[in-house]
Amino acid sequence: MKILVCVKQAPPADAPIKIDQSQQWVSVYGHALPQMGKYDEYAVEQAIIIKEQVPGTTVDAITNGPAEWATVLRRALGMGVDHGIQALTLEGGYASALKTVSCIALAVRARSYDLILTGVMSEDLAQGLVGPMLAETLSFSCVTSCVSLRVDESRNCVYAERDIEGGRRQLVELALPALVTMQSSTNRPRYPSLSNIMRANSQELEVITVESSEDAVSCEKLLRLSSPQKTRSAVFLQGSSKDKARELLSILRKRSVLH
Amino acid sequence: MERSIVVVAEHTQGRLTPVTYEAMACALEIQRIQPARIVTVVVGEDAVEVAQEAIDACDQSVLAVKVPGLDSYNGEAYRWTLSHALCGLGASWICVPGTTQGFDFGPGLAVRLGASCLSNIERVFEQDGQPIFVRNLFNGKISAELSAAAPTLLIVQPGSFRWERHDIKGRSYVEVITVEWAPTHTRLLGFKSLYPVDSALRDALVIVSAGRGIERRENLELIHRVASLFPRSAVAGSRPLCDNQWLPYRLQVGQTGATVAPDLYMACGISGAQQHLAGMRGSKFIVAVNTDPEAAIFHEADVGVVEDLEVFLADLLEESARLTP
Ligand SMILES: Cc1cc2nc3c(=O)[nH]c(=O)nc-3n(C[C@H](O)[C@H](O)[C@H](O)COP(=O)(O)OP(=O)(O)OC[C@H]3O[C@@H](n4cnc5c(N)ncnc54)[C@H](O)[C@@H]3O)c2cc1C
Repeated sequence: MKILVCVKQAPPADAPIKIDQSQQWVSVYGHALPQMGKYDEYAVEQAIIIKEQVPGTTVDAITNGPAEWATVLRRALGMGVDHGIQALTLEGGYASALKTVSCIALAVRARSYDLILTGVMSEDLAQGLVGPMLAETLSFSCVTSCVSLRVDESRNCVYAERDIEGGRRQLVELALPALVTMQSSTNRPRYPSLSNIMRANSQELEVITVESSEDAVSCEKLLRLSSPQKTRSAVFLQGSSKDKARELLSILRKRSVLH
Repeated sequence: MERSIVVVAEHTQGRLTPVTYEAMACALEIQRIQPARIVTVVVGEDAVEVAQEAIDACDQSVLAVKVPGLDSYNGEAYRWTLSHALCGLGASWICVPGTTQGFDFGPGLAVRLGASCLSNIERVFEQDGQPIFVRNLFNGKISAELSAAAPTLLIVQPGSFRWERHDIKGRSYVEVITVEWAPTHTRLLGFKSLYPVDSALRDALVIVSAGRGIERRENLELIHRVASLFPRSAVAGSRPLCDNQWLPYRLQVGQTGATVAPDLYMACGISGAQQHLAGMRGSKFIVAVNTDPEAAIFHEADVGVVEDLEVFLADLLEESARLTP
């Protein structure tokens, strides 16, 4: 079984960011290190679980981004992925899903994977588009937002549990080749093992350049970034932590939620 | 061909879901900028019955795509039937509710239709006669304005557009087509109900909710103690806490958990992701405690406390004990 996992880099959720001068992207300040997207980690974890269960499975990881994103491939190798592919783009910043999909499709079409896994969405753009659009582009069957997967090689299919609204799950059988996007779950992504980290550091990444076949016209354009509008205007409490505590208690008493 | 704006309805147990109306509201805003016919499309075995509800709600045309045997959502069925049904409609914009279902079939449908796709649309405004779409990035910290060329499929952010009932002028009609479909690659095996929404959450007047910012499991103790300051209170949390098995999933608030609307919702160490907001936005009073002054939760809060929650909640307990003899 040949598995591919698509991964990307993003700043952590609580990284301090500000809009840069171009108004087209942000800069991350402080010492927050960019890392592999949380959902991508779940996708890698799921791929490794399958590799452990199904003999003869190999797992590749691909990232379509600037050179710095090699770190997420190293992380994936550290978790147990066999081979890393870096489909280089020159610039970072906002990427239209259409463009990313066309680059990844070009890079992987001829490699005949049985199963492709991606995170349900990235943590910076949070589009949730690349996985399902890639599936359609490659004519793979597709299901999104899954919390668990089981491969049945003899029947050439996967069984997936889709996490949906209202605390419910939909159980789906998908014919291979398939693309599944992974949601967070109790399958906590493993930390890279020491032996894998050593292998990851010495292993060559496959670096390729692909030109998106999407013309600029069909992609959306990012016009401007700004601070979001506020729905309610929070009153920020001032003073020391104790001052704030006293003031909050008094506000809550006035609202009669506290007696 | 006459251009149109299509809304793909979402329905369950014979009823349109509230997010469908929000997608219709988004379509109306686009229509104000770029006049076109709005067509609401309903797919499924009971499409005709559900279409009636859409007709009763608005004076638009409704296309019922009856698919015998399709009694619950199947992504393959939606992509296949919609790509055929939409062919003749000249759709410039296709509005899809941003639920797990919309995200499942929408992006693939866009590819099939040769359309681009934008997700999490929360606002539309006009610039030089064109609609500009607004969505957030970086977990709600940044707002982005995007332009797109038609045709584009828009996945509409739940809770962002308000549907207002208006007088029906009686121009609406239902067109019915029947499409035969049988699964080739995706078979539904059923549903699993993991956790009925906790009645303690539904009945609570005060919910103290913990997020990943609590950092250590032991800090749940603080959250419980703060909750016990209030009568009829409950403890809940964001999804990562349930994934960590620190809290059971039935106490998860958000899109894929419980929807709550207590008198007071106290969000401790929660960043304010859209999927979390979807479950607690209706709370009457929201207090947020977070070390990051830029956290999106503050955009939704009535009172903001920028502090380390471990320090602040301990102070809150101490001050409360001091004031209550
Ligand atoms: C399809 C889908 C459905 C989803 N459904 C849900 C859902 O139903 N419910 C849900 O909650 N999520 C859901 N999510 C996940 C959601 O997108 C977010 O990832 C999640 O809500 C983040 O949880 P959080 O705010 O606790 O953690 P984070 O985003 O990591 O935020 C932690 C926050 O804690 C703050 N913090 C850190 N340390 C401290 C400290 N010492 N004191 C105070 N503050 C501190 C940080 O500044 C940060 O803002 C869903 C995602 C998807 C893709």
